[in-house]
Amino acid sequence: MRLRDDTGMTTGQIVSAVGHVCLLLWVVLGDWLFSAKEMPEVTVAEVSLMTSSEFDAMVKASPDAAPAKAAETTPAQPVTPPKPAEPKPAEPKPVVEDVPQDVPVSDAPQPIETPDPVAPLADTEQPVPVAPSDAKPKPRPIDRVAAVPVDSPTDAPDISDTPTPKASENAAPDAPVVEQEPEAAPQEATTQIVTEAVETEDKAPQLPPTASLPPRSRPKDLVKPEEPPKEEQVASAEPAPETPPAEDAVADAIAAAVADAATDPAADAPAPSDSTGAASGQSNAPSGPPMTGAETDAMRVAVQACWNVGALSMEALRTTVVVGLSVNPDGKPDAASIRMVSSDGTSDVATRQAFDAARRAIIRCGSKGFPLPSEKYDQWKELELVFDPNGMRMR
Amino acid sequence: MTLFRTLTPVLALALGLFVAASPAAMAQQGPLRITITDGVIEPLPFALPDFIPETGGAGDYAQQITRVIASDLSGTGLFREIPASAHISRVSSFDAPVAYEDWKAINAQALITGAVSASGDKIVVKFRLFDVYSGQQMGDGLQFAGTPATWRRMAHKVADQIYARITGEGPYFDSRVVFVSESGPKDARQKRLAVMDYDGANVSYLTDSSSIVLAPRFSPTGNQILFTSYESGFPRIYLMDTGSMQVAALAQQEGTMTFAPRFSPDGRRVLFSLERGGNTDLYELDITTGQSRQLTNAPSIETAPSYSPDGSQIVFESDRSGTQQVYVMPASGGEATRISGGAGRYSTPVWSPQGDYIAFTKQNAGRFHIGVMRSDGSEERLLTASFLDEGPTWAPNGRVIMFMRESAGAGGQSSLYSVDISGRNLRQVTTEGPASDPAWSPLLP
Repeated sequence: MRLRDDTGMTTGQIVSAVGHVCLLLWVVLGDWLFSAKEMPEVTVAEVSLMTSSEFDAMVKASPDAAPAKAAETTPAQPVTPPKPAEPKPAEPKPVVEDVPQDVPVSDAPQPIETPDPVAPLADTEQPVPVAPSDAKPKPRPIDRVAAVPVDSPTDAPDISDTPTPKASENAAPDAPVVEQEPEAAPQEATTQIVTEAVETEDKAPQLPPTASLPPRSRPKDLVKPEEPPKEEQVASAEPAPETPPAEDAVADAIAAAVADAATDPAADAPAPSDSTGAASGQSNAPSGPPMTGAETDAMRVAVQACWNVGALSMEALRTTVVVGLSVNPDGKPDAASIRMVSSDGTSDVATRQAFDAARRAIIRCGSKGFPLPSEKYDQWKELELVFDPNGMRMR
Repeated sequence: MTLFRTLTPVLALALGLFVAASPAAMAQQGPLRITITDGVIEPLPFALPDFIPETGGAGDYAQQITRVIASDLSGTGLFREIPASAHISRVSSFDAPVAYEDWKAINAQALITGAVSASGDKIVVKFRLFDVYSGQQMGDGLQFAGTPATWRRMAHKVADQIYARITGEGPYFDSRVVFVSESGPKDARQKRLAVMDYDGANVSYLTDSSSIVLAPRFSPTGNQILFTSYESGFPRIYLMDTGSMQVAALAQQEGTMTFAPRFSPDGRRVLFSLERGGNTDLYELDITTGQSRQLTNAPSIETAPSYSPDGSQIVFESDRSGTQQVYVMPASGGEATRISGGAGRYSTPVWSPQGDYIAFTKQNAGRFHIGVMRSDGSEERLLTASFLDEGPTWAPNGRVIMFMRESAGAGGQSSLYSVDISGRNLRQVTTEGPASDPAWSPLLP
């Protein structure tokens, strides 16, 4: 009412005005807004007109003339002209072959160009559970640059190569190998305390899990390929049949630059380590590709499966300790090297309890070797494990 | 569209530079560091071969002491004994070297070896504790000497040492519990004071069942017991000397009822509730002078007081807000602060010996709970739930709570239970018959 009073417009006028404004906006901006995708060119075929007499003459001349009846019942037939005869040449679109010429993809360093194998596999199928054949699923060639340099590009194919039927039935695809769990996780193990009050509060008793969570790691004995062959990867990138237009080409150029930076030895050379276990005569800085998140997760899971905080005092459960250790190439910790690096404990007793529990975890679960990638030994020959039990205190 | 096309290379370049910079920025600056925040909570497996009798008459003691130690440790829920049948290595001598690999093979994380010798009226128990996986002895070997009658205490002492060394908590096995022993039907129940070892052994009775007794409390030194008795027809507090068994009435005032007594940390004062003319308030009595003073003055019922370990504060229950809730006030009296905030009624608060928690009874939705909360009311955690749970008391180390649980029905019986303050290891304490009102003693000397 106020609007009407102020402007003198009726509701109909307002609606009309709004409609017109929208129409105008659509006219002005519609092309910009809705023409993002290039509409396919309309294929036009030239059709010459003829008279009925000419048509009849033509029909008679043809030995395989269609019955007139059929021609009558399908009047639309002429609209579908014999396109191959005289197609109007469509405007040439950017084609795949142009891309390699514009962008020096083939010159790009290889590791970066490696297609990210996890995403496509995960998108297209759940590979681990089934694995019906021996054929190694090949990642769909993609022409995108991975977000981060991928050093071990064949994680997913490796998993699908070694299907574990038992795991595939029960476990998530990314946590397939139950038997990788350290032997010492007993039935009583739990990561959460359920009090009687909580248990009886819910009608369905929340019993603690009978075992710790299965590791989300890949099995450590999977055969990992050596350094991915560079030429091969370039080749796999090149034939990308659906390589689109120039934006991706630009991205590829950026990828090349990124790859250069990522493989520059000076760029990822770690700072000198103060660890004691570095090989003599060599730099302490770890060399080689860095550990991936999955690999550190596997290590984390392996240790925490043996980290028993059940017998720790409340004070020790508030104490975070950093434990340093050297690890042998076979993944087994050097027990003599296990040492306290630092702690935030307020009492010596609690700190000692926390350290003892951490040491037991390392020795117990490391007795058969931690699941660490052997090709990255330089990265993990010296470890610092931070044991933070604060989240476990009142579970 | 044009704008987008223009910006695309710029955005791509920025993204590329970010990605390119990341590895350098994340370059490892030293040993690979991995943070572990999730562990497992399970009993720690230990091996306890029978202690070795070093003299002719020590065989039985050695075996019994070994069993008491194992029972103490396993009873905490924090340890799990590996049965002797699984042992690979045999300990033939107290000083024999430890075959760590054999104990590792059966997943023993702690190994306890010991020996017992008996000569005349003296028994000597010695032990060593080993961390199997680190291949080291945990602490020095220790030995205890006593009379044959105290062999259980010596076993508790050994278990206390092991428990403290592994967990870092204070010991509590060598302690006693005073409680009310009950007999007879529910509507004509007879009650008398009794005292036992923390594990239910060695029960002895302190009073007969001629009058109802309630709520016994140990003094900080363990040589006195406060309790409430209906001997006079009304509830009244008494003080018993456990050495002489002498009983004296405290704070006698005509026309009043006194109950819910508790010692101050120094043992020289007693907090209690006094009912006069239908109103109940808190009072403090100086045992040496016999002088008492009123701490609260409210028309509501204030009762169940308990000192903080440093003696500076008092926690108590009051219905001043309409329902029973828990309040904290200075030990000298003054303004009280309500700390219980959840739904339901809160009662019988008890400050832990470490001062970090307050245990309480909670009644909500027709169920009773034993719970703990911080002294400011935070971190409330209910540990139990049943038809009737009541009257928590702290173990000397402040990690275990004992309380009374009563089953429903006319034939319902009361019994004692203990639970870890984490909520684990809820278990019934063995008593000869129905029992209620437990109160834990301090650690015995």
